[in-house]
Amino acid sequence: MPPKPRPSEAVAKPPTVLASSVVIAEAASLTGTFPIKIGANTVIHPRAKLTSAQGPITIGEHCIICERTQICPPGAEGLVIEDGVVVEVNAVVEGSVGAGSVVEVGVRIGKGGSVGLNCKLGPLTKVLEGEVIEDNTVIFGSGQRRVDASGTADARRRLLERHIESLRVLIPSNPSKFVN
Amino acid sequence: MPPKQTKGEYIETDTGNKVSRKSVILGSQNIILGGKTIIQADCTIRGDLRRTVAPGQNSGNVAIAVGRYCFLSRSSVLRPPGRTHQKTFSYYPMKIGDHVFVGEGCVVEAALIGSYVHIAKDCVIGKFAIIKDCVKIEEGTVIAPNTVIPSFSLVSGRPGVVIDELPETAQEGLECRSPNHLMRSIR
Repeated sequence: MPPKPRPSEAVAKPPTVLASSVVIAEAASLTGTFPIKIGANTVIHPRAKLTSAQGPITIGEHCIICERTQICPPGAEGLVIEDGVVVEVNAVVEGSVGAGSVVEVGVRIGKGGSVGLNCKLGPLTKVLEGEVIEDNTVIFGSGQRRVDASGTADARRRLLERHIESLRVLIPSNPSKFVN
Repeated sequence: MPPKQTKGEYIETDTGNKVSRKSVILGSQNIILGGKTIIQADCTIRGDLRRTVAPGQNSGNVAIAVGRYCFLSRSSVLRPPGRTHQKTFSYYPMKIGDHVFVGEGCVVEAALIGSYVHIAKDCVIGKFAIIKDCVKIEEGTVIAPNTVIPSFSLVSGRPGVVIDELPETAQEGLECRSPNHLMRSIR
Protein backbone atom coordinates (compact mmCIF):
# COMPACT_ATOMS: atom_id res chain seq x y z
CA MET A 1 0.00 0.00 0.00
CA PRO A 2 1.48 3.37 -0.90
CA PRO A 3 1.78 5.78 2.02
CA LYS A 4 -1.12 8.19 2.37
CA PRO A 5 -0.27 11.74 1.37
CA ARG A 6 -0.11 14.09 4.30
CA PRO A 7 -3.02 16.49 4.44
CA SER A 8 -0.99 19.54 3.60
CA GLU A 9 -1.40 22.63 1.54
CA ALA A 10 -0.18 20.68 -1.50
CA VAL A 11 -3.66 19.20 -1.90
CA ALA A 12 -6.10 21.89 -2.98
CA LYS A 13 -9.00 22.33 -0.59
CA PRO A 14 -12.43 22.19 -2.16
CA PRO A 15 -14.66 25.22 -1.60
CA THR A 16 -16.41 24.19 1.60
CA VAL A 17 -19.49 25.54 3.31
CA LEU A 18 -19.83 24.25 6.87
CA ALA A 19 -22.70 25.21 9.15
CA SER A 20 -21.45 26.52 12.48
CA SER A 21 -22.73 23.54 14.48
CA VAL A 22 -21.04 20.90 12.31
CA VAL A 23 -18.83 18.43 14.17
CA ILE A 24 -16.02 17.45 11.84
CA ALA A 25 -12.98 15.53 13.01
CA GLU A 26 -9.60 16.76 11.97
CA ALA A 27 -8.74 13.40 10.42
CA ALA A 28 -11.67 13.53 8.02
CA SER A 29 -10.69 14.11 4.43
CA LEU A 30 -12.39 16.56 2.12
CA THR A 31 -10.82 16.65 -1.32
CA GLY A 32 -11.75 17.64 -4.83
CA THR A 33 -12.58 20.78 -6.73
CA PHE A 34 -16.38 21.07 -6.60
CA PRO A 35 -18.07 22.64 -3.57
CA ILE A 36 -18.88 20.60 -0.46
CA LYS A 37 -21.79 21.80 1.66
CA ILE A 38 -22.48 20.36 5.10
CA GLY A 39 -25.64 21.25 7.05
CA ALA A 40 -26.11 22.04 10.72
CA ASN A 41 -25.56 19.42 13.45
CA THR A 42 -23.95 16.93 11.09
CA VAL A 43 -21.13 14.75 12.42
CA ILE A 44 -18.22 13.67 10.23
CA HIS A 45 -16.11 10.98 11.91
CA PRO A 46 -12.34 10.83 11.46
CA ARG A 47 -11.16 9.13 8.24
CA ALA A 48 -14.39 9.72 6.39
CA LYS A 49 -13.59 10.55 2.78
CA LEU A 50 -15.55 13.10 0.84
CA THR A 51 -14.24 13.49 -2.69
CA SER A 52 -15.77 16.16 -4.87
CA ALA A 53 -13.51 15.66 -7.88
CA GLN A 54 -16.44 14.82 -10.20
CA GLY A 55 -19.26 16.90 -8.75
CA PRO A 56 -20.56 18.86 -5.76
CA ILE A 57 -21.52 17.18 -2.47
CA THR A 58 -24.43 18.42 -0.36
CA ILE A 59 -25.02 16.90 3.08
CA GLY A 60 -28.12 17.90 5.06
CA GLU A 61 -28.71 18.52 8.75
CA HIS A 62 -28.42 15.92 11.51
CA CYS A 63 -26.41 13.42 9.51
CA ILE A 64 -23.71 11.07 10.76
CA ILE A 65 -20.95 10.09 8.36
CA CYS A 66 -18.79 7.37 9.93
CA GLU A 67 -15.14 6.54 9.43
CA ARG A 68 -13.87 4.86 6.25
CA THR A 69 -16.89 5.88 4.22
CA GLN A 70 -16.33 7.18 0.74
CA ILE A 71 -18.67 9.74 -0.69
CA CYS A 72 -17.93 10.59 -4.29
CA PRO A 73 -20.44 12.06 -6.72
CA PRO A 74 -20.56 10.31 -10.09
CA GLY A 75 -20.76 13.46 -12.19
CA ALA A 76 -21.34 17.19 -12.39
CA GLU A 77 -24.98 16.84 -11.29
CA GLY A 78 -23.56 16.09 -7.83
CA LEU A 79 -24.73 14.07 -4.90
CA VAL A 80 -27.20 14.99 -2.19
CA ILE A 81 -27.47 13.38 1.22
CA GLU A 82 -30.63 14.76 2.83
CA ASP A 83 -31.36 15.44 6.51
CA GLY A 84 -31.06 12.77 9.20
CA VAL A 85 -29.05 10.22 7.25
CA VAL A 86 -26.63 7.82 8.93
CA VAL A 87 -23.82 6.45 6.77
CA GLU A 88 -22.00 3.66 8.59
CA VAL A 89 -18.44 2.35 8.39
CA ASN A 90 -17.00 1.26 5.02
CA ALA A 91 -19.98 2.43 2.98
CA VAL A 92 -19.36 3.70 -0.54
CA VAL A 93 -21.92 6.28 -1.61
CA GLU A 94 -22.01 7.35 -5.25
CA GLY A 95 -25.69 8.26 -5.41
CA SER A 96 -28.21 10.37 -3.56
CA VAL A 97 -29.75 9.35 -0.23
CA GLY A 98 -33.17 10.56 0.98
CA ALA A 99 -33.97 11.98 4.41
CA GLY A 100 -34.07 9.65 7.41
CA SER A 101 -32.37 6.76 5.63
CA VAL A 102 -29.79 4.51 7.23
CA VAL A 103 -26.88 3.23 5.15
CA GLU A 104 -25.36 0.38 7.13
CA VAL A 105 -21.85 -1.05 7.25
CA GLY A 106 -20.22 -1.80 3.91
CA VAL A 107 -23.15 -0.80 1.70
CA ARG A 108 -22.36 0.25 -1.87
CA ILE A 109 -24.64 2.72 -3.56
CA GLY A 110 -23.72 2.59 -7.24
CA LYS A 111 -23.19 5.56 -9.51
CA GLY A 112 -26.30 7.68 -9.89
CA GLY A 113 -28.34 5.42 -7.62
CA SER A 114 -31.10 7.08 -5.66
CA VAL A 115 -32.37 6.00 -2.24
CA GLY A 116 -35.78 7.29 -1.07
CA LEU A 117 -36.92 8.62 2.28
CA ASN A 118 -36.60 6.56 5.49
CA CYS A 119 -34.97 3.59 3.78
CA LYS A 120 -32.72 1.16 5.55
CA LEU A 121 -29.94 -0.54 3.64
CA GLY A 122 -28.69 -3.50 5.69
CA PRO A 123 -25.01 -4.39 6.08
CA LEU A 124 -23.11 -5.33 2.90
CA THR A 125 -26.09 -4.83 0.58
CA LYS A 126 -25.79 -3.08 -2.76
CA VAL A 127 -27.74 -0.54 -4.75
CA LEU A 128 -26.98 -0.91 -8.45
CA GLU A 129 -25.91 1.90 -10.76
CA GLY A 130 -28.80 4.19 -11.54
CA GLU A 131 -31.23 2.16 -9.44
CA VAL A 132 -34.08 4.01 -7.70
CA ILE A 133 -35.11 2.72 -4.26
CA GLU A 134 -38.65 3.71 -3.25
CA ASP A 135 -39.40 5.41 0.10
CA ASN A 136 -39.51 3.24 3.26
CA THR A 137 -37.75 0.29 1.62
CA VAL A 138 -35.67 -2.04 3.77
CA ILE A 139 -32.95 -4.00 1.99
CA PHE A 140 -31.62 -6.86 4.07
CA GLY A 141 -29.80 -10.17 3.89
CA SER A 142 -28.61 -10.97 0.39
CA GLY A 143 -30.69 -8.29 -1.31
CA GLN A 144 -34.24 -9.13 -0.16
CA ARG A 145 -36.55 -6.15 0.08
CA ARG A 146 -39.62 -5.21 2.00
CA VAL A 147 -41.53 -2.03 2.73
CA ASP A 148 -41.39 -0.73 6.27
CA ALA A 149 -44.89 0.40 7.27
CA SER A 150 -44.15 0.86 10.97
CA GLY A 151 -44.04 4.65 10.70
CA THR A 152 -41.23 4.97 13.23
CA ALA A 153 -39.35 7.65 11.31
CA ASP A 154 -40.00 10.36 13.90
CA ALA A 155 -38.87 8.17 16.79
CA ARG A 156 -35.72 7.25 14.92
CA ARG A 157 -35.04 10.89 14.24
CA ARG A 158 -35.21 11.67 17.96
CA LEU A 159 -32.75 8.85 18.75
CA LEU A 160 -30.45 10.18 16.08
CA GLU A 161 -30.50 13.66 17.58
CA ARG A 162 -29.46 12.23 20.95
CA HIS A 163 -26.71 10.25 19.26
CA ILE A 164 -25.40 13.43 17.67
CA GLU A 165 -25.48 15.25 20.99
CA SER A 166 -23.24 12.59 22.55
CA LEU A 167 -20.86 12.60 19.58
CA ARG A 168 -20.52 16.35 19.99
CA VAL A 169 -18.84 15.63 23.33
CA LEU A 170 -16.70 12.75 22.07
CA ILE A 171 -15.34 13.97 18.75
CA PRO A 172 -13.02 16.97 18.83
CA SER A 173 -14.18 19.21 16.03
CA ASN A 174 -11.92 21.33 13.90
CA PRO A 175 -13.94 23.01 11.15
CA SER A 176 -11.36 25.72 10.64
CA LYS A 177 -9.03 23.24 8.95
CA PHE A 178 -11.49 22.70 6.13
CA VAL A 179 -12.68 26.23 5.49
CA ASN A 180 -10.63 28.45 3.27
CA MET B 1 17.85 -2.53 28.60
CA PRO B 2 15.50 -0.74 26.23
CA PRO B 3 14.19 -2.82 23.33
CA LYS B 4 16.16 -2.62 20.14
CA GLN B 5 15.27 0.42 18.10
CA THR B 6 14.08 -0.64 14.70
CA LYS B 7 12.35 1.27 11.96
CA GLY B 8 10.10 -1.63 10.99
CA GLU B 9 6.44 -1.39 10.21
CA TYR B 10 5.49 -2.58 13.68
CA ILE B 11 5.91 -0.92 17.04
CA GLU B 12 6.35 -3.43 19.84
CA THR B 13 5.09 -2.51 23.29
CA ASP B 14 6.48 -3.70 26.63
CA THR B 15 3.88 -6.47 26.85
CA GLY B 16 4.69 -7.73 23.36
CA ASN B 17 1.89 -6.16 21.40
CA LYS B 18 2.82 -5.43 17.81
CA VAL B 19 1.01 -2.43 16.43
CA SER B 20 1.42 -1.34 12.84
CA ARG B 21 2.44 2.25 12.29
CA LYS B 22 -0.14 2.41 9.53
CA SER B 23 -3.04 1.53 11.81
CA VAL B 24 -5.52 4.19 12.92
CA ILE B 25 -5.92 4.13 16.69
CA LEU B 26 -8.11 6.85 18.13
CA GLY B 27 -8.42 7.49 21.84
CA SER B 28 -5.54 5.20 22.73
CA GLN B 29 -5.86 6.15 26.42
CA ASN B 30 -9.16 4.21 26.48
CA ILE B 31 -7.78 1.04 24.87
CA ILE B 32 -6.25 -1.89 26.74
CA LEU B 33 -4.23 -4.50 24.87
CA GLY B 34 -3.52 -7.63 26.91
CA GLY B 35 -0.18 -8.44 25.32
CA LYS B 36 1.15 -10.37 22.31
CA THR B 37 -1.63 -8.86 20.25
CA ILE B 38 -0.91 -7.99 16.64
CA ILE B 39 -2.61 -5.06 14.95
CA GLN B 40 -2.00 -4.88 11.22
CA ALA B 41 -1.93 -1.91 8.89
CA ASP B 42 -5.09 0.09 8.18
CA CYS B 43 -6.90 -1.26 11.26
CA THR B 44 -9.18 1.27 12.86
CA ILE B 45 -9.80 1.14 16.61
CA ARG B 46 -12.23 3.71 18.00
CA GLY B 47 -11.17 4.11 21.59
CA ASP B 48 -12.47 7.68 21.54
CA LEU B 49 -16.09 6.46 21.56
CA ARG B 50 -16.25 6.00 25.30
CA ARG B 51 -19.12 6.14 27.74
CA THR B 52 -20.76 9.52 28.05
CA VAL B 53 -23.15 8.66 30.88
CA ALA B 54 -21.80 8.73 34.42
CA PRO B 55 -19.60 5.64 34.59
CA GLY B 56 -20.54 2.94 37.09
CA GLN B 57 -18.45 2.15 40.13
CA ASN B 58 -16.25 -0.37 38.38
CA SER B 59 -16.49 0.49 34.68
CA GLY B 60 -13.76 3.11 34.60
CA ASN B 61 -13.06 4.74 31.29
CA VAL B 62 -12.06 1.79 29.13
CA ALA B 63 -13.69 1.76 25.70
CA ILE B 64 -12.03 -1.31 24.21
CA ALA B 65 -10.28 -4.11 26.10
CA VAL B 66 -8.48 -6.74 24.04
CA GLY B 67 -6.98 -9.89 25.56
CA ARG B 68 -3.74 -11.71 24.81
CA TYR B 69 -2.66 -13.30 21.52
CA CYS B 70 -5.27 -11.52 19.44
CA PHE B 71 -4.76 -10.82 15.77
CA LEU B 72 -6.45 -7.92 14.05
CA SER B 73 -5.97 -8.23 10.30
CA ARG B 74 -5.63 -5.50 7.72
CA SER B 75 -8.51 -3.01 7.36
CA SER B 76 -10.54 -4.37 10.25
CA VAL B 77 -12.52 -1.94 12.39
CA LEU B 78 -13.24 -2.19 16.11
CA ARG B 79 -15.75 0.31 17.40
CA PRO B 80 -17.66 0.18 20.66
CA PRO B 81 -21.44 -0.26 20.35
CA GLY B 82 -23.72 2.60 21.28
CA ARG B 83 -27.40 2.98 22.09
CA THR B 84 -29.86 5.34 23.69
CA HIS B 85 -30.75 4.36 27.22
CA GLN B 86 -32.95 6.51 29.46
CA LYS B 87 -32.96 9.35 26.97
CA THR B 88 -29.20 9.66 26.67
CA PHE B 89 -27.06 8.10 24.00
CA SER B 90 -23.89 6.43 25.15
CA TYR B 91 -21.25 4.10 23.82
CA TYR B 92 -20.55 1.03 25.90
CA PRO B 93 -17.25 -0.75 26.44
CA MET B 94 -16.28 -3.61 24.16
CA LYS B 95 -14.45 -6.62 25.56
CA ILE B 96 -12.48 -9.09 23.52
CA GLY B 97 -10.98 -12.24 25.09
CA ASP B 98 -7.75 -14.07 24.29
CA HIS B 99 -6.80 -15.77 21.01
CA VAL B 100 -9.31 -13.86 18.94
CA PHE B 101 -8.63 -13.63 15.21
CA VAL B 102 -10.35 -10.86 13.29
CA GLY B 103 -10.08 -11.22 9.52
CA GLU B 104 -9.47 -8.63 6.83
CA GLY B 105 -12.10 -5.95 6.37
CA CYS B 106 -14.25 -6.98 9.34
CA VAL B 107 -16.31 -4.42 11.21
CA VAL B 108 -16.80 -5.44 14.83
CA GLU B 109 -19.28 -3.60 17.08
CA ALA B 110 -19.84 -6.46 19.53
CA ALA B 111 -20.25 -5.90 23.25
CA LEU B 112 -18.39 -9.06 24.18
CA ILE B 113 -16.27 -11.55 22.30
CA GLY B 114 -15.04 -14.54 24.29
CA SER B 115 -11.75 -16.37 23.89
CA TYR B 116 -10.75 -18.59 20.95
CA VAL B 117 -12.99 -16.87 18.44
CA HIS B 118 -12.12 -16.90 14.76
CA ILE B 119 -13.80 -14.29 12.60
CA ALA B 120 -13.05 -14.80 8.91
CA LYS B 121 -12.68 -11.90 6.52
CA ASP B 122 -15.37 -9.39 5.51
CA CYS B 123 -17.67 -10.14 8.44
CA VAL B 124 -19.87 -7.58 10.15
CA ILE B 125 -20.56 -8.15 13.82
CA GLY B 126 -23.56 -6.04 14.82
CA LYS B 127 -23.95 -3.76 17.80
CA PHE B 128 -24.14 -5.40 21.24
CA ALA B 129 -23.63 -8.89 19.84
CA ILE B 130 -22.26 -11.35 22.39
CA ILE B 131 -20.03 -14.11 21.11
CA LYS B 132 -19.03 -16.79 23.62
CA ASP B 133 -15.83 -18.85 23.67
CA CYS B 134 -14.69 -21.16 20.84
CA VAL B 135 -16.72 -19.85 17.95
CA LYS B 136 -15.87 -19.83 14.28
CA ILE B 137 -17.52 -17.29 12.02
CA GLU B 138 -17.31 -17.91 8.29
CA GLU B 139 -16.39 -15.43 5.59
CA GLY B 140 -18.87 -12.68 4.79
CA THR B 141 -21.17 -13.39 7.72
CA VAL B 142 -23.36 -10.56 9.03
CA ILE B 143 -24.27 -11.01 12.68
CA ALA B 144 -27.36 -9.01 13.57
CA PRO B 145 -27.30 -6.54 16.47
CA ASN B 146 -27.94 -8.00 19.97
CA THR B 147 -27.33 -11.59 18.82
CA VAL B 148 -25.93 -14.06 21.34
CA ILE B 149 -23.78 -16.82 19.85
CA PRO B 150 -23.24 -19.83 22.16
CA SER B 151 -19.91 -21.60 22.65
CA PHE B 152 -18.63 -24.15 20.10
CA SER B 153 -20.70 -22.79 17.23
CA LEU B 154 -19.97 -22.48 13.55
CA VAL B 155 -21.76 -19.40 12.26
CA SER B 156 -22.50 -18.43 8.68
CA GLY B 157 -24.94 -16.50 6.51
CA ARG B 158 -26.76 -13.17 6.41
CA PRO B 159 -27.99 -12.85 9.09
CA GLY B 160 -25.49 -15.16 10.75
CA VAL B 161 -27.00 -18.27 12.27
CA VAL B 162 -25.43 -21.28 13.95
CA ILE B 163 -25.10 -23.88 11.19
CA ASP B 164 -23.02 -26.47 13.02
CA GLU B 165 -21.32 -27.36 16.28
CA LEU B 166 -17.57 -27.40 16.67
CA PRO B 167 -15.92 -30.46 18.20
CA GLU B 168 -14.69 -30.30 21.79
CA THR B 169 -11.12 -30.14 20.52
CA ALA B 170 -11.83 -26.91 18.60
CA GLN B 171 -9.85 -24.78 21.02
CA GLU B 172 -6.51 -26.08 19.76
CA GLY B 173 -7.33 -25.17 16.19
CA LEU B 174 -8.45 -21.70 17.16
CA GLU B 175 -5.34 -20.74 19.10
CA CYS B 176 -3.47 -17.72 17.77
CA ARG B 177 -0.25 -18.34 19.71
CA SER B 178 2.33 -17.50 17.04
CA PRO B 179 0.83 -19.66 14.32
CA ASN B 180 3.27 -19.71 11.45
CA HIS B 181 1.00 -18.27 8.81
CA LEU B 182 0.21 -15.28 10.99
CA MET B 183 3.72 -14.50 12.16
CA ARG B 184 5.27 -14.88 8.74
CA SER B 185 3.02 -12.21 7.33
CA ILE B 186 4.43 -9.51 9.60
CA ARG B 187 8.13 -10.27 9.49
